[in-house]
Amino acid sequence: MTRVTNVMRLQLMNRQSYVIVPLLVLGGAALLALAIFLLVPYDGPKYAVMAAAAPLWAFLVVGVQALTMSFPFSQALGATRRDFHIGTLLTAALTAAMLALIYLVIALLEKATNGWGVNGYFATPGLDGDAPLAAFASYFVLAMLWFLIGYWSSAVLKRWGLVVLLNVLVGLAIALTVAALLLVRFGAMQAVAEWVVAQGALGLDAWGLLLVVVLAASSYLTLRRITQ
Amino acid sequence: MTSIIEVKHLTKRYRTATALDDVSLALDEGKIYGLLGRNGAGKTTLMSILTAQNFATSGRVRVFGEDPYENAGVLGRLCFVRENQKYPERATPPQAFRTASYFYPNWNQRLAERLVEEFQLPTDRPIQRLSRGQLSAVGIVIALAARADVTFFDEPYLGLDAVARQVFYDRLIEDYAESPRTIVLSSHLIDEVANLLEHVIVLDRGRVVIDAAADDIRGSAFNIVGDATAVAAFAVGKQVLRKQTLGNVTSVVLKGQVSESDKVRLARSGVEVAPVSLQQFIVSSAAQPDKGDAWGTDGPPAKVEARQLVRNGGAR
Repeated sequence: MTRVTNVMRLQLMNRQSYVIVPLLVLGGAALLALAIFLLVPYDGPKYAVMAAAAPLWAFLVVGVQALTMSFPFSQALGATRRDFHIGTLLTAALTAAMLALIYLVIALLEKATNGWGVNGYFATPGLDGDAPLAAFASYFVLAMLWFLIGYWSSAVLKRWGLVVLLNVLVGLAIALTVAALLLVRFGAMQAVAEWVVAQGALGLDAWGLLLVVVLAASSYLTLRRITQ
Repeated sequence: MTSIIEVKHLTKRYRTATALDDVSLALDEGKIYGLLGRNGAGKTTLMSILTAQNFATSGRVRVFGEDPYENAGVLGRLCFVRENQKYPERATPPQAFRTASYFYPNWNQRLAERLVEEFQLPTDRPIQRLSRGQLSAVGIVIALAARADVTFFDEPYLGLDAVARQVFYDRLIEDYAESPRTIVLSSHLIDEVANLLEHVIVLDRGRVVIDAAADDIRGSAFNIVGDATAVAAFAVGKQVLRKQTLGNVTSVVLKGQVSESDKVRLARSGVEVAPVSLQQFIVSSAAQPDKGDAWGTDGPPAKVEARQLVRNGGAR
């Protein structure tokens, strides 16, 4: 356990990336969203979904750096790959939960003030969710997903190189596009949309969490054989 | 003495090159090893495999009797700061030192602080923005203060000035005396580190060409310089490790030791006798045939002979 907490301390050396940068982006995005709400001549509820997502993107960068910078340092200090992986994911989960909690507080404030007095919302997820738990879970899962996408792609990059990473990413994009085209071709889009709505925010969070687990497992298998 | 590192028939092949070629070694506890060789000889690859940061194509590695891969009990006793070591984004030297101190129970904070001062290391700037020499200094501070049971230094002096390099050598010896442990120092500045080393391993193109106690090497050959005819006459029947000729003057490195009567005889014919430094010996015995003109007509000795020579020296 000490070995895992040592890795967490190693990762949190970098408090600026894990904590400060996401908060700064969040603050900036919130101010920008409010300014836009004030400028929009519309009295109904306004949602700024992209503004809410902005700080989550910072986790992509954190995920990349966790592998490209912190991993080599942990190897120098004699950490096992397993301990590094567990400690790193725990750090990500901890900071993602912290960020999600801040979102939750903002979402509650947003509701209490009727959208900051201008009927504008950016922290409240749009689906069925002004439920606090759904808001928290959505932001947690999104932050973890962004983190793991950065972490996993860096692991693939370090192990097999750029060509393989690009092939994998392009392959995934093609597969998703083909899947979408097939759904449209066979008129199944309607059914998919209904399915998504039926899942609700929490249901989608659960699917997202499943993806997080898959990415975490494949990152681990990849980094087990990374060479320095 | 017990071997804490055992390497048997270790080979590492990349798609286009062989980095290590059937390397077998045994390293004892509590000694300072020099891992010497030219760039690309396989030094870093060997240290990477010993610390489970790279993987063997074939062969076996044991550290403290166990396979180091994913072995927390073994890896936790090792420290290997690379020549181009990466550090977490935006980390300052003191942050890196504090983090390292969590990983090593014997961490010597006093030594770390002293080294920071002696290397004049900036403490408020991210490591990424330090100069090459300062980056090397950060690695030295961590590797020395960690007091790990086995510490690997990978060309630790890159970019350091002469004063800083001397600081490193002095503190290394001091702290080693205070807290003996196994140190593997990879270097191509052979003469500078020669006095620190107790044992020398020389790699050349992935093969071990010398593996011997430093003292045995020093006493295993000598150098004579003088009139070409006189030198040639003396060298008859002796094994010539290296021969250089400039006009009428010839310099040869000869295997074995020079006797008192030989010294008198050589002095009479105006031939100077000098000991062979570690660097001269290594260059003499590990130099490549294709470096042509350094060699006289006798050609270079086979590597096998160099190894044989050291072994004989060791058996004395």
